[in-house]
Amino acid sequence: MFLLEHDAKQLLARHGVPAPGGAWVGPRGEGLDACAADLSGPQVLKAQVQGGGRGRAGGIRKVASPTDLAAAIESIAGPRGRLGDGRPIAGFRVESVVEGAQEAYLSLAVDPAAARIRVMVSARGGVDIEQVAAEWLVQELAPLDPSAVARAVRTAVARLPGLGHGPHAAAMREALAAAGDTLAAAFVDLEAQLIEINPLFVFPDGGWLAGDAKVVTDDSALGRQGAQRALLERAGARYEDVDRKWRHGCDYVVVDPDGEIGLLTTGAGLSMMLIDELRARGLKPYNFLDVRTGGLRGDPRRLVDVLQWMTAGSRLRVLLVNIFAGITDLGEFASLLDQALEAVPALRVPVVARLVGPGLDAAREQLAARGIEVETDLDRAVARVRERLGEPCA
Amino acid sequence: MTESSAATGIDESNAAGARGFRLAVDRHTPVIVQGITGRAGRRHAPMMRAAGTAIVGGVSARADAREVEGIPVFADCAQAVQATGARASVVLVGPEQVQAAVFEALAAGIDLVVTPTEGVPLHDALRIRAAVTAAGAVWIGASTPGLAIPGEAKLGFLPDVSLAPGPVGIASKSGTLSYEAGYRLVQAGLGQSAWIGVGGDPGKGTRFADLVPWFSRHGTTEAVLLIGEIGGTEEEEFAATVASAAFGKPVVALIAGRTAPGGVSMGHAGAITWGTHGTWEAKRDALERAGALVCASLPEAVRAIGRALGRQHAPRG
Repeated sequence: MFLLEHDAKQLLARHGVPAPGGAWVGPRGEGLDACAADLSGPQVLKAQVQGGGRGRAGGIRKVASPTDLAAAIESIAGPRGRLGDGRPIAGFRVESVVEGAQEAYLSLAVDPAAARIRVMVSARGGVDIEQVAAEWLVQELAPLDPSAVARAVRTAVARLPGLGHGPHAAAMREALAAAGDTLAAAFVDLEAQLIEINPLFVFPDGGWLAGDAKVVTDDSALGRQGAQRALLERAGARYEDVDRKWRHGCDYVVVDPDGEIGLLTTGAGLSMMLIDELRARGLKPYNFLDVRTGGLRGDPRRLVDVLQWMTAGSRLRVLLVNIFAGITDLGEFASLLDQALEAVPALRVPVVARLVGPGLDAAREQLAARGIEVETDLDRAVARVRERLGEPCA
Repeated sequence: MTESSAATGIDESNAAGARGFRLAVDRHTPVIVQGITGRAGRRHAPMMRAAGTAIVGGVSARADAREVEGIPVFADCAQAVQATGARASVVLVGPEQVQAAVFEALAAGIDLVVTPTEGVPLHDALRIRAAVTAAGAVWIGASTPGLAIPGEAKLGFLPDVSLAPGPVGIASKSGTLSYEAGYRLVQAGLGQSAWIGVGGDPGKGTRFADLVPWFSRHGTTEAVLLIGEIGGTEEEEFAATVASAAFGKPVVALIAGRTAPGGVSMGHAGAITWGTHGTWEAKRDALERAGALVCASLPEAVRAIGRALGRQHAPRG
């Protein structure tokens, strides 16, 4: 889960990571009056969106006084509640402006190829790290262990170039080493994939604050990460795909809101490939789905949910079912599909089914009763989808 | 830069186990199933045995379990290995139990572990990888349909309808996409020499690149079908390894997710792109530079494999 900055800072605060004081404000300024009463002086307003490059997209604005915040919110979000690059704004973080600090960079990330933790440190933060010349960036690898990671940060800090020996350099080294200790422990405790602090504010006395926080957690660890689970329960709407997977056990992503073909598919790779192949033929799939037929266990609930979600597709004209079953009994699956279609009458589109696997004959019989013909060849099923869309066969 | 991996994605510690990836599995390799009394274990142990695998035992903490379908059940790995001489284990336990199960297998001297379970926490995967490397063992997984030497043995879930002995080596992240590809290959009269599902998680035991030297040496493999997907750098690492070695066998690649939206995890935890990182185009370019033929569709990939093997009779998809 790629956390919004505000959520990341709140989660990190529980692990002793300091940040400038800040408050959450809704995407239309909801809650602004309540929080503005406690504020004074210059503020920074930061749009909460997924991913980086927020500053370049006009999502960060400094204001001289809290009274200017409402206008700044309107100017960032515009009438559509989106950033200039189209990303939807989940809300805003209002933060007091930090003065008199140097800006550094520190990140910890799982390096899958090395199967270790990659530490990256730079005394030049505050800009996109890919713009920082390689000579200013020091990297180390460490095994997954808080003290080893903290040591790796200290080793990297000792190698930072161009710092010199003045009081600024001493403060920088002290702050980065301290931040490394705290963040290494947080990284392991939170089972993070990435914690990137950029800028990391360094004060003349060696103190530090997380100016920004990019945190990616591990969805597979949600079962034992109570605070992350609580965040999802509290703010699931901000993390729709993760929330859906957590609650429903399947992956569903709308890939084209104007799509015409609903996909009831299992398996991530095959579902992705099917979307690619449909698009290559000029067809418009609506969604990606890995329904995980192996996890249905005789209950149509998940299929009902999925079909229900698809009713949001206003241009949907056909449903393509593609199940390559290694072991799933297709007879049982067909009966669950039958129940699910029955339970979602709002999804009034023709169904094309392509099934391979054990229990095929029973499935054919079951679906024939609904007027659904079963194909075993995927390319032929796609040709049938074309027919249903009223397009000539390729 | 202190490490070459930031630039190339390749790292010295990348090899699966200190001794590198190796695989010597046939119908005589004694295999145990950890978690054999669970839902998946009860179902798959007999199916693996039916595919030729020497399933010699199972492990279960359940005190009342003596046997499953005639397969003796032991209380722990050490007892199972002592009684059966098992060399390999298929671990069919819940995602948060995989780490302990693999540690137990390694302690008992198992040198090949296959963990199909999806959803193993990433930090657990890193710890498992470190332990497997230290033990000089090989780990296939997590989130993998497993591996097969068709006609000899299968360790995992690969469907029999997609399996047949033949000349094609398959390396795949995705289960279902490889099932579909294997099925079409078999229909085209092209079986497999070895099929290794490395899994769709970002943290794993064996990566595509680890397989390159092995496939290069593997006598019955005449061509390799690489089935990748967007996200991560495994396809690029594979390409770099193929390019740097005298691989000597044709490589056909099929990469899923060309039109997937950025920044969204597509089902597999590892299948996510950020900006230009992990994109289809980056993988295609790297693979093409290494001399691989990158195909846009399943029918095209099957035809390309047929041509690479000089089997012009492969039917047109």
